[in-house]
Amino acid sequence: MPRNLLPSLLAVLTLGGVCALAAAQQPPTKTAMNSPSFAWWAPDDGKVITRQIDYFNDAGMLRTLLSGGPMETKDHPFFTAQGPTGRACVTCHQPSDAMSLAAGTAQARWDETKGADPLFAAFDGSNCPTLPQADRASHSLLLDHGLIRIERAWPSTDAAGRSVKPDFRLEVVRDPTGCNSGKWGPAARKISVYRRPRPVTNLKYLLAAGFAYDPKKGMPLEIDPETKTASNNNLLADARAYSLEAQARDAMRSHLQIAGPLDGQKVKQIVAFELRLSTAQQIDARAGSLDKDGAEGGPLKLEASQPGQLGSIGKAVWSEFEAWEKPSDSDTMSASQKALRESIARGAKVFREKTFLISDSAGINSPIGFGNPVRNSCVFCHNMSQMGNDVAPGQVDLGTTNLPFADPAPHLPLFKVTCLGEPHPHYGKTILTHDPGFALTTGRCADVGKITLQSMRGLAARAPYFSNGSAKTIRDVIDFYDRRYNIGYTEQEKKDLENLMKAL
Amino acid sequence: MRWLASFALIAMAGEATAQSADVRFIACPIFRDVDAGRKSGCWLADDGASGVRYDVGSGPVKPDWNHEVLVEGRATDKPNACGGVVLDPVRVSVLPGECTRHALPAEGFKGRPFVLPERNVKPANVARSAPQPPFKETSFYILFDWNRDFLAYQLDDYLFDQAITYINGVKPKKIVVTGYAATTPAKVSGRSIAETADIAKARAEKVTEALKRMGADPKTITTNWKTAAAPADAPGADGLAEASRRRVEIRVIP
Repeated sequence: MPRNLLPSLLAVLTLGGVCALAAAQQPPTKTAMNSPSFAWWAPDDGKVITRQIDYFNDAGMLRTLLSGGPMETKDHPFFTAQGPTGRACVTCHQPSDAMSLAAGTAQARWDETKGADPLFAAFDGSNCPTLPQADRASHSLLLDHGLIRIERAWPSTDAAGRSVKPDFRLEVVRDPTGCNSGKWGPAARKISVYRRPRPVTNLKYLLAAGFAYDPKKGMPLEIDPETKTASNNNLLADARAYSLEAQARDAMRSHLQIAGPLDGQKVKQIVAFELRLSTAQQIDARAGSLDKDGAEGGPLKLEASQPGQLGSIGKAVWSEFEAWEKPSDSDTMSASQKALRESIARGAKVFREKTFLISDSAGINSPIGFGNPVRNSCVFCHNMSQMGNDVAPGQVDLGTTNLPFADPAPHLPLFKVTCLGEPHPHYGKTILTHDPGFALTTGRCADVGKITLQSMRGLAARAPYFSNGSAKTIRDVIDFYDRRYNIGYTEQEKKDLENLMKAL
Repeated sequence: MRWLASFALIAMAGEATAQSADVRFIACPIFRDVDAGRKSGCWLADDGASGVRYDVGSGPVKPDWNHEVLVEGRATDKPNACGGVVLDPVRVSVLPGECTRHALPAEGFKGRPFVLPERNVKPANVARSAPQPPFKETSFYILFDWNRDFLAYQLDDYLFDQAITYINGVKPKKIVVTGYAATTPAKVSGRSIAETADIAKARAEKVTEALKRMGADPKTITTNWKTAAAPADAPGADGLAEASRRRVEIRVIP
């Protein structure tokens, strides 16, 4: 979330000479720019979104670019309250939070509005609609973990709308929210899971199909019956929408609670706007501008580059910071600034080059044929130039939601999955999970816990991380991987990776 | 007499060559943790019948250290970089049977750095060479692991890409997709194994769906399946007769 970071801000202004300019009729003061009320985009604000939108965060400054220049948001469906909740798309996709929603932002909004903001709508902005909505505790998953309730029909339909016959039985082991019991639970053909809002930016990269085949599924990419084009299914955590249009409709029905026919023109407007956005950290509070002295960080490079390129045969992933690998002989930079730049560059190399054994992760170790285990580095999956998402699309089970790999999460529901046919290749017949993930779309036991890869840009603006918010900080993300795969990062490597990820 | 027996074997195998050095066994795999960069690490498996330890890591599909593998390959005298006789070509099928996980340290073995296989499919934005007339009836083969219908990465995607490129260039009148399964029981490592009959249909339907997704005219496609498959001269099998039984044939009739 944006913070009142005057010391950092001064450093940024000194180093980069960049002035934050958010959408406003009048230029704001520097202090006001970082206050929650200024940063928050409420539905129907009617502001103009500028070509360049900058927000400060703990790590420096985030920048979002809007291709094609400024846009009036008045009456635009992304920014206009729709449905009975009074929410708009922007409610959960805030520019200050890299078009996602940080838990800290939700907390600030709760404090400012005393829980009256549409963000806290009972349907999915609370732990369960059955709970007393005025109590903060009823919204703890959103406030403390940045999680929105996702209610899916169970058994479900796939992304093409076809009914799915699951090859597993789903039982509720623990239901701390009450939303997986009685008329809210599987007995009523429903299941609730809790997930982070995904960033609605840099979408050309998520839509890019670098290859015609999905090696994780062993098939050519699926065809979206609506657009008749190949879909890499990289948008939602459980891949339940083939296209941005389908995602927008899903969100309008669920998060905005719009009943009745949806306006196709509004869907088109939403998608057209989303495709214009590019977001990345622009300034690191300690390293300075991320696109200076040969570096190519920030969103301009993202906006200008062709998506879908495999880093291993083209522009290496995070080579944006290659120029900082060599120690700077600048007289104007402080020693600490030089050290941070070198650390970011080292982090990029660790990300690409530090190999480890990846084991028991469906989507990697099965059924693709790489072997279990397989030695590789972070770029094995995060392999797309500029963006770090997967050129070969698909979902992977890192263990963020499946036991025993997932961290303890007493606040989340726990499900028992019993495979009725073949056992899961890595867990066997029975799996305990906080979120079956992709299996909620496919109905396949082998897909339990598989989650679509996360975007890696603008991370500093949108904690916590992983689909279930289980990593409160970027360092927690690194520590999870270190534990999960017994990587053995040194403390310096962890710091370098953290500095890199804050600079994305 | 030995010559006659060999002749009979080859005749049964059709055009495929079942060479004397081919081995086929079931074992629990052993991982040797040799760090020679990305996708390195050695895969070994011991043939219980002969006691020979083989290096089975050069095929498109690698083992899972929690499961038995069916190994089909040809022994070579290639340098021993992992601690076993190198099988090449080799096909490894991961079986349901569970194994005790076993990993060895490098123990001085260097392993092999990953080399991009020749059968790697081009990115979507790289233009394919269009087939040139006159077009003739042509068969393409997709190979499968034991009792699986999964199109393997850097083997089947490449083979399929050849087929669909030809099909989309030729616009054939007819495409006949035939799935095969090796349902005739065979004795391997002291047990009788046979693929299930329904896998032939599953393979055929999978490939048919793949063809449709990639632009083949559904009206031209006929889908069949057969059991008790005999070996075939399928290039993707690299001459391994047993592996060639588990296939789908895509017959393209211009």
